[in-house]
Amino acid sequence: MNEALIISNILLWAVVLALLVTVLALSRQIGILYERISPMGALMLDQGPKVGDVSPRFNLESLSGASVAVGLSEQKKSQLLFFLSPTCPVCKKLLPILKSISVSERSWLELVFASDGDRPEQVEFYRRVGLTDFPYVLSTELGMAFKVGRLPYAILIGEDGRIRGKGLVNSREQVESLFTAKELGVASVQEFIDQRA
Amino acid sequence: MDIGHVLTDAVVTRALGAALSVLLLAGAWQKLRDRELFQAAVENYQLVPQSWLAFIATGLSLLELAAGILLLPTSTRPLGASLTGVVLLVVTGAVVINLLRGRTDIDCGCGGLSAHVGEQSLTWALVMRNVLLLAALLLSLSDAEQRPLVWFDYLTVAGTTLALLGLYVAANQLMANQPRLQSLRTH
Repeated sequence: MNEALIISNILLWAVVLALLVTVLALSRQIGILYERISPMGALMLDQGPKVGDVSPRFNLESLSGASVAVGLSEQKKSQLLFFLSPTCPVCKKLLPILKSISVSERSWLELVFASDGDRPEQVEFYRRVGLTDFPYVLSTELGMAFKVGRLPYAILIGEDGRIRGKGLVNSREQVESLFTAKELGVASVQEFIDQRA
Repeated sequence: MDIGHVLTDAVVTRALGAALSVLLLAGAWQKLRDRELFQAAVENYQLVPQSWLAFIATGLSLLELAAGILLLPTSTRPLGASLTGVVLLVVTGAVVINLLRGRTDIDCGCGGLSAHVGEQSLTWALVMRNVLLLAALLLSLSDAEQRPLVWFDYLTVAGTTLALLGLYVAANQLMANQPRLQSLRTH
């Protein structure tokens, strides 16, 4: 009898833990579904101007007061458009990385920061994190034109005004992958693999 | 055998202690690995001056690490439990203050085992979760009368610990899903 109870108990544990793994997987999948179909997430995925398309152009005013041409660099350089927000932790983490990239890639790359929302808060943020040397524009239309849903989002625009790479970026590697995509002339890692196959 | 005896049985208290310890260690590990990210998350709470951010963020992670380590051995458990209580009260207080301020749109920066559920914004459910963790902490300290454990008890402890951790991650995932579902309904 005792042995029967022990075996039944072990079996029950196995089943309970297996069911728990199933619940975890299901709730995770539902979470991913919500992310994909939420109004913002869906826009980001495949919509917006495609890689290779001519980028939408905007003439905006930087927080410093200077005018910024977004979409086609006036200095005949490539443009890295970085969408951020003062409350996004990952954006803040990437700022030092972006600053160092802007120095090392100065010869061919111009960095533009883009955000939208409350102006005084943005000005305070822009001063505090030391972005005053960079163009920093506030424009809801800009984000809508590129269908930016989640942050931090980066778009690389070539010197010819065409989009060379874009996507959600969480690390230095992901920012640099945009440069690699431009050099190789491919839109994404997936396309690169397809080409080599 | 009444329910009170079951809840304070060594098997239950040990499983709760072990599960809490894993939660704390996973949280501390993740925060210390990516300190800039956690610092930015602390900054979002807008509770401490800029110059203190690095100190507070690192201090809180180290406190969490110490609490997780000390909670495991029986000899240091009271100290570990006090530290755990402090960590939980501090972070829950920070969440409550920002909920009352209406700043719910920031990431909770919880990290650890719930790091993979996606962005988790501030909700009262998060406060509830921490209250439950505090209750679990108190319960884990209540094994006054020890009965000798047999090998089979350790199987139960291991199973219960795994089950608690799984439930914790699943609950966090569902909590992170909730605001996303809400935004779908309103659009």
